[in-house]
Amino acid sequence: MQKKAGPLFYVFLILFLFAVMFPFLWQMLASFKPPGELFGESAFSIAIKEPTFNNYNLVFTERPFGTYLWNSLAVATLTTVYAIVVSVFASYAIAWLNFKGKTVILGIVLAVSMFPQIATISPIFMFLQSVGLTNSWLGLIIPYTTFALPLAVWNLTIFFRKLPLDLAEAAKMDGASIWQTLTKVFLPLAMPGVFTTAILVFIAAWNEFLFALTINTEESMKTVPVGIAMFQGQFTIPWAEISAASIVVTVPLVVMVLIFQRRIVSGLTSGAVKE
Amino acid sequence: MAKSKRRMSEKQAGYLMVFPALLIILVIAIWPVVRSFWISLYDVRLNDPTKSQIHSAYGIDMERYANGLPLLKSNIANEKKQVEAPAAGELDAVLQSVLAVDKELNQDPKFTDRYTQVDDLLNNMQPVPDDVKFLDAEQVQAQKLKDTLQDAEKKVLALSNDKQLKTENVLGIVRGLEGSVIEPNFVGLAYYKQYLTDSRMWASLGNTVLFTVLSVVCELVLGLWIAVLINKQFIGRGLVRAAVLIPWAIPTVISALMWKFMYDGQNGILAHVFWKIGLISDPGVLLTTKWGAMFSTIFADVWKTTPFMALLLFAGLQTIPESLYEAAEVDGATKRQQFFRITLPMLKTSILVALLFRTLDAFRVFDLVYVLTGGGPANSTETISIYAYKTMFAQMNFGAGSALSVLVFLCVALISMGYIKILGADLIGENSGK
Repeated sequence: MQKKAGPLFYVFLILFLFAVMFPFLWQMLASFKPPGELFGESAFSIAIKEPTFNNYNLVFTERPFGTYLWNSLAVATLTTVYAIVVSVFASYAIAWLNFKGKTVILGIVLAVSMFPQIATISPIFMFLQSVGLTNSWLGLIIPYTTFALPLAVWNLTIFFRKLPLDLAEAAKMDGASIWQTLTKVFLPLAMPGVFTTAILVFIAAWNEFLFALTINTEESMKTVPVGIAMFQGQFTIPWAEISAASIVVTVPLVVMVLIFQRRIVSGLTSGAVKE
Repeated sequence: MAKSKRRMSEKQAGYLMVFPALLIILVIAIWPVVRSFWISLYDVRLNDPTKSQIHSAYGIDMERYANGLPLLKSNIANEKKQVEAPAAGELDAVLQSVLAVDKELNQDPKFTDRYTQVDDLLNNMQPVPDDVKFLDAEQVQAQKLKDTLQDAEKKVLALSNDKQLKTENVLGIVRGLEGSVIEPNFVGLAYYKQYLTDSRMWASLGNTVLFTVLSVVCELVLGLWIAVLINKQFIGRGLVRAAVLIPWAIPTVISALMWKFMYDGQNGILAHVFWKIGLISDPGVLLTTKWGAMFSTIFADVWKTTPFMALLLFAGLQTIPESLYEAAEVDGATKRQQFFRITLPMLKTSILVALLFRTLDAFRVFDLVYVLTGGGPANSTETISIYAYKTMFAQMNFGAGSALSVLVFLCVALISMGYIKILGADLIGENSGK
């Protein structure tokens, strides 16, 4: 149905893009308003009388937002690195090597990726508490495995299956060991898929909420989503600061998405579509 | 490395490479689910020291006991000096009764050894490991200790109520000592029975199902519509693709806050617009009424996940050969017929896979509801995950909360089995990637 688009289509497209972007744009607008302009009539105005950067300032000076960012960055990066390293081997084996039980293994991986987090949290919490790992990075990296590892194994396997298998056969013919095939032939080909999967795992870990909320409760160990969610007090919600903090977190993600959109889309859709 | 691997068969190498991932998944994901079920059979409460763990037998918390007993002795001695003779006599009797039981317990050398060990650790300010802390005891003895301490508490409380004591210290210590007697907290399937008749459980399950069905159906219809619409050649395809990814990439917590800001009854732009165009009677209803809050939650979820759905379906659309449509065109099929006879059947697998992932995601919804409504107003948007979370982390009732989370797990398992039965082996099959 590769038809040329008509003018009506572009009208629709602009409306659609507007709807998709609106909450983000509105939040950005609010982040530059002084708190006074977030109430009353000026709350609905798109013009800012006195634009300010003070909200951004407050987020970093009045609240430990820098600490939250650092914790999120560390936990998400470490989770990604460790999940990718473990799953590159597993996926390579499932996709390229011959042995029995591969379908069962992949089935287990897929099933685990569907586990609701709430079903694993009580034993994980009790375990982490008994070994004193609550309020630490490791205390989050361990439970993040429950979604990071299945996600990585599943995506990498699907990606690796698309790589030309005859190259491996040729390498074997030439007398290369499995290790040589892996490092010399396979990894260079696999890098794009590994990179895409790493982005997906990183975003999943960066956005995680339930484990972070229950396991790291100390202010100095909170991650960004929990930190921002806890900005709201019992009776007041500091919208100006929440907006600024949200924009600080979202802009890097948006930039990342813009740069890597092709890879992300292929990573997201490869598991679901037969090609 | 290379040499040893050369001698290894492909099969062995395969198992060796899969092993770490499989082991980690087994220990960190599968075992906790089994363990959750196990915990749900016990009355585990993290705010009650005697129930903070699974106890299948009677026992004594030696840390508490070794901490409390010397304190009891010294405090009773202190108190005796300050009070009238009759009260002092009673306090002495209380101490003697406790010491009598202590003597009986000490007839078992294991008890004496463990007491010394724990006492040493405590004196050196060292933590007491769990396997040292809890000592299994005979039911008769544990019961006797408990009865004696309860009796002691009653007597001390009576004295205290009569204003015959100078301080509350002794009462507090006796109560603390009572916490050293561990009783088995096995309750079997009691929590499951309790929840089957619990109206709050059924209400939260109903909310979850309502949320899941409505949001997934909206997302599917809208996603399909968008996918078909953008499946053309147009300027700015890359831009659309990037824009579509933004709601997906934004953390759910942040998108929930963005929507909360727009739904706000006083200063929210969306509430204001809806009110102005007459969609709602009052800007406040979006977050303060049952249906308003449910609608708001679903709306926010649809915003966040429809683009993702559209993307999956769009990718599926692109795999449908153009020739099919050309042939249909030649045969004089209308656009409508083409959609229902070609597009939908060819998209079946893509749709089912997208539906499977979205349904499971929606069913375990937590972040969005937690931040947007907190389950309110009056539990009207409380989903089953939120209920389980509150039971565990607000009431610290881990046994009951685990039972709820096992129920979530069972529902999710049922849903996925249903989908997989329709999908068949397509999902994992060797060919799915090729």
